Amino acid sequence: MRDLQDRLGYLVLAATALAYFTVYTTSLGRPPGSFDYLAILNTTMPLVLVALGQSLVVLTGGIDLSVGGVVSLCVAITAATGGAPGWIFAVVLLGGLCGLVNGLVVAYGRIAPILTTLATLSVYTGAALWVLPVPGGSIAPEVRAVLSNPNVPTGLGWLALAVAGWWVLRRTRFGMRVYAVGSDETSARAVGVPVERVKAKVYALSGLCSAAAAVFYVATTTAGDANAGAPFILTSIASVVVGGVAFTGGKGSAMGAVAGAVALTLVIDVLFFAGIDPLYQSLFQGLFLVVAVLLGTGAALLARRRAA
Amino acid sequence: MNRRAAYAVAVAAVVLILGAVLSPGFASWPGLRAVLIVASFTGFVAAGQMLVVLVGGIDLSIPWVLNAAAIVLTTTGLGLADRLPLALALAVGAGLLAGLVNGLGVAWLGVPAVVMTLGMNGVLQGLTLGVSQGLTCGDCGHYAPQPLRDLFAGTVPAALLVWLGAALFVTVLLTLTTFGRRVYATGANPRAAYLSGVGVKGVTVALYTLSGGFAALAGIMLVGYGGQASLGLGDPYLFESIAAVVVGGVSILGGRGTYVGVIAGSLTLVAVTTVLRAQQVPEYGRLMIYGLVILAILFAYGRERAHD
Amino acid sequence: MTVTATGVGRAFGGVQALRDASFAARPGEIHALAGENGAGKSTLIKVLCGAIRADTGTVVVEGRVATAFQELSLLPDLTVAENLLLAAPPRGRLGLVRRSRLADEAALILSRYGASGVDPRSPARDLAVSQKQVVELVRVLALEPDVVFLDEPTAALAEREVDWLAGHMRRLRDAGACVIFTSHRWREIERLADRVTVFRGGTNVATRDRLSEEEAITLMTGRTLGATYPDVSEIVPGESALTVTGLTSGRLREVSFELRRGEILGVGGLAGQGQRDLFLTLFGAGKPAAGRLSVTRATGGTAEPVADGRPSARAGLLPDWPVRLRQPRDAIKAGIAYVPEDRKAEGLLLHLSIRDNIALATLARRSRAGFIRHRAEKAAVSGIAGKLAIGAGRSTAQAAGTLSGGNQQKAVMARWLLTDADVFLLYDVTRGVDAATKHDIYHLIADLARDGKAILFYSSETEEIAGLCHRVLVLREGRIAAELPGPVGDAETIVAASIREPADA
Repeated sequence: MRDLQDRLGYLVLAATALAYFTVYTTSLGRPPGSFDYLAILNTTMPLVLVALGQSLVVLTGGIDLSVGGVVSLCVAITAATGGAPGWIFAVVLLGGLCGLVNGLVVAYGRIAPILTTLATLSVYTGAALWVLPVPGGSIAPEVRAVLSNPNVPTGLGWLALAVAGWWVLRRTRFGMRVYAVGSDETSARAVGVPVERVKAKVYALSGLCSAAAAVFYVATTTAGDANAGAPFILTSIASVVVGGVAFTGGKGSAMGAVAGAVALTLVIDVLFFAGIDPLYQSLFQGLFLVVAVLLGTGAALLARRRAA
Repeated sequence: MNRRAAYAVAVAAVVLILGAVLSPGFASWPGLRAVLIVASFTGFVAAGQMLVVLVGGIDLSIPWVLNAAAIVLTTTGLGLADRLPLALALAVGAGLLAGLVNGLGVAWLGVPAVVMTLGMNGVLQGLTLGVSQGLTCGDCGHYAPQPLRDLFAGTVPAALLVWLGAALFVTVLLTLTTFGRRVYATGANPRAAYLSGVGVKGVTVALYTLSGGFAALAGIMLVGYGGQASLGLGDPYLFESIAAVVVGGVSILGGRGTYVGVIAGSLTLVAVTTVLRAQQVPEYGRLMIYGLVILAILFAYGRERAHD
Repeated sequence: MTVTATGVGRAFGGVQALRDASFAARPGEIHALAGENGAGKSTLIKVLCGAIRADTGTVVVEGRVATAFQELSLLPDLTVAENLLLAAPPRGRLGLVRRSRLADEAALILSRYGASGVDPRSPARDLAVSQKQVVELVRVLALEPDVVFLDEPTAALAEREVDWLAGHMRRLRDAGACVIFTSHRWREIERLADRVTVFRGGTNVATRDRLSEEEAITLMTGRTLGATYPDVSEIVPGESALTVTGLTSGRLREVSFELRRGEILGVGGLAGQGQRDLFLTLFGAGKPAAGRLSVTRATGGTAEPVADGRPSARAGLLPDWPVRLRQPRDAIKAGIAYVPEDRKAEGLLLHLSIRDNIALATLARRSRAGFIRHRAEKAAVSGIAGKLAIGAGRSTAQAAGTLSGGNQQKAVMARWLLTDADVFLLYDVTRGVDAATKHDIYHLIADLARDGKAILFYSSETEEIAGLCHRVLVLREGRIAAELPGPVGDAETIVAASIREPADA
């Protein structure tokens, strides 16, 4: 049962995928084809990346509200520069830098993560508006072909890269330390974990992920908007929650969050094909979030009861 | 009043004086009146947010509780003065009910506050949009009944008296009653409070309920101020309420804070924006400066204790 | 010298934890730090091992250092294996951690240090307190350090595990390491230490090779104390105050007993035999599976027995347990008070005022329509604070966190004295309290008994139970294994009853 809680993200994803398949097939009279899967993959990639970064932060017991600002800023720059390779590199670097600033303030400034990133959210969003005052911009077709090609599953490669990145990270000393910090910061410090450095790095990685997400976002939508990042704040948190990562830190996995992100995107399609008025969409998303978490805590309770 | 609240008042005073120096109209009563009215909306939502933060929680459902109340008010009031009492009761009731459900989820089902209130936000968004069918009406102007609009007329608008009343209510509740003591005890150490006979769950539910009520109150007042309800009405108030609470010197970890500080925090935030507007700083600059001001204030008195 | 500290000072907030403290230890010795709580031992250890910085003075420590902290440094969400190998995990190609090898490697370490009873795959959170302590110690031992700091290493250990630790301490010493430890149990210091340094008020007052307990107490307190325990034999228990029948809850199995007015009833046994479940359940904070409790309340000096099963007017009797005693609030109404061991976690609200803390359990009594009657509250709190000499004339408006450890515990006691409870559940209330305050607390307990209060008393120091109680129930595996009548006098009898197999088994 303990495993059930750990695998919450995958279970929710499996259930949602099943629902998607059923609803799609009954509604259109044929099962979803490769084109549909690819469309889902491409639209979900940005959220997958942001959720990945968010989960790292949450694993240390923190939270990053500034993902919205970082995504907006990076979307603005990518779209304004048309996504030239040099600029993409710069954008990813800038995202990491934005995250690092968060991390330094949280770790060395000793300001609560939610407050730090709330303040920087405003700063980064402001910067995005400065770069791109009105929605627009463009993306080079070559970039689009490599990142989110609507016909060739390039996105799959990038998803695999993200998964591999986590796999490696989990097997570094840094990976172990992320869990140590989230589990009990004081104790981690006492046994020699450089807590401040771990935190700074985790926020920097989150910024990096948000920047990558921004590039994918522009590649998918082919244009930019300085407010593009705002929805990612709450959806990334929701992904992390559905993915079974505990808000107290130290428990869960980034892969769970990735599964959660895909599930959240699928839910929208499920609602669409089920013929539910799109106006009610957030109602079901909200219920989905709470029910997923209740299932997780229910499983944990059962496990404890059985152990006792 | 604690030390942090005193800082908050001092910061508000400095910002107001700065505003008076920078822009000529600011120091006049009409200028101040405008700031106070806008600050009162922040003050209402921040009152609820503060109550929840005092026990270490957070309320992310404020935007759509606010919207839902505003829309309940306009659609049941229909702009008719004699329907106003019913409309007010329904709007406030909707807010209290949403808060009650939040509280029950957090206290009894053990759903993390972030998840529960985020889910509630989604549920209310879907419900509101779905039931009102997007609320696109040609002449919403008459949807705010006249008595409600009159609250904002006159040299000393009655709306400010409503705020004063809310401030007295919160302050008396927290400082003079046994309930207030139990709130601070729960925030300071929930386990110790529980073992001293405090009904921690009941206290928590009551606070979330009140937060819902205050968000609804803000929605009602905003309808009166703007003369109509719009769907994005509550959006800015999620982060603004958290910012006002911490700028007001309330500890995000719970157990410490006063509403006097939160009033000062609300004034500071609104005054900063007003001054920047008067200086014709473009939106991107306002956002960035706003974030930096919050960050500076956090560095001044929002830091957590050192680790060693 | 391997470890040298000279003129070290360190303050926390306004409290000077160390002032001009000096200390030296050499290789190949076991050196004990003795002193009352708050004398600066833990702070000195933290300064020496580099966990915190000294404000003044110099510190020199040579060699590899390892520290077992009093508050344990295990990471609850990590497995035992991850905890043990966090610093140096097994690695494969590319320098990546081989997660599949973690458990095997940890099992090897655990068995090498004679602790193979612990499952390396288990998350640290799920371990019993004594197991956590063992893992913490193995973590330290496995580093094969030249200098070892052990802060209260035996606090959570059973007798057998203390022997295990003693063996390792001696082995390290004989191998030339410098072992520095603290303990509240004088017997352990006598048994293990080659030298003792006594601390008082943040500074070292003496370093000796041999030291008698009386001398040590004199050095630690700066004065001599009279007979430690008050004589309770002349307090005669009256009629029944609380009857427990067939209580099963957590680790408890079908426990039945009667507690009488004016009686101090001890609960003994090894650590973790269900004592905590018993206290918490009687206070409404447990999850009882079966059992019955009846409380007889005293009103105005005369006993008012209440028929089992029917709520009384004043407080209520709790017929079927799971129904009635659902939370501590119910227990408080029934005239039961619970003073916890860990005042920081379960007792105090550190940054609230002393007054708020003391008044917390009786708020409703001094209120009108939900509003606090501040004058009445101030009077009540000042009265009890004065009576217990809390905070030496300090204003009760100050934060409780500014009080010393002993005074903090007194403040928690004061909260419960205000409730006028008939039954006091005192769970390890002297833990981590200095000798002078302990002495005060013993007399306070005796006074309560004299006033006709019924007292259930548990202590991790069995001597206290032996010295202070009219009668002792010994718990083993959740059941009452023995009932020892009369003042027991010596701890050995209780310990013997705790470990002896039942005759009919």
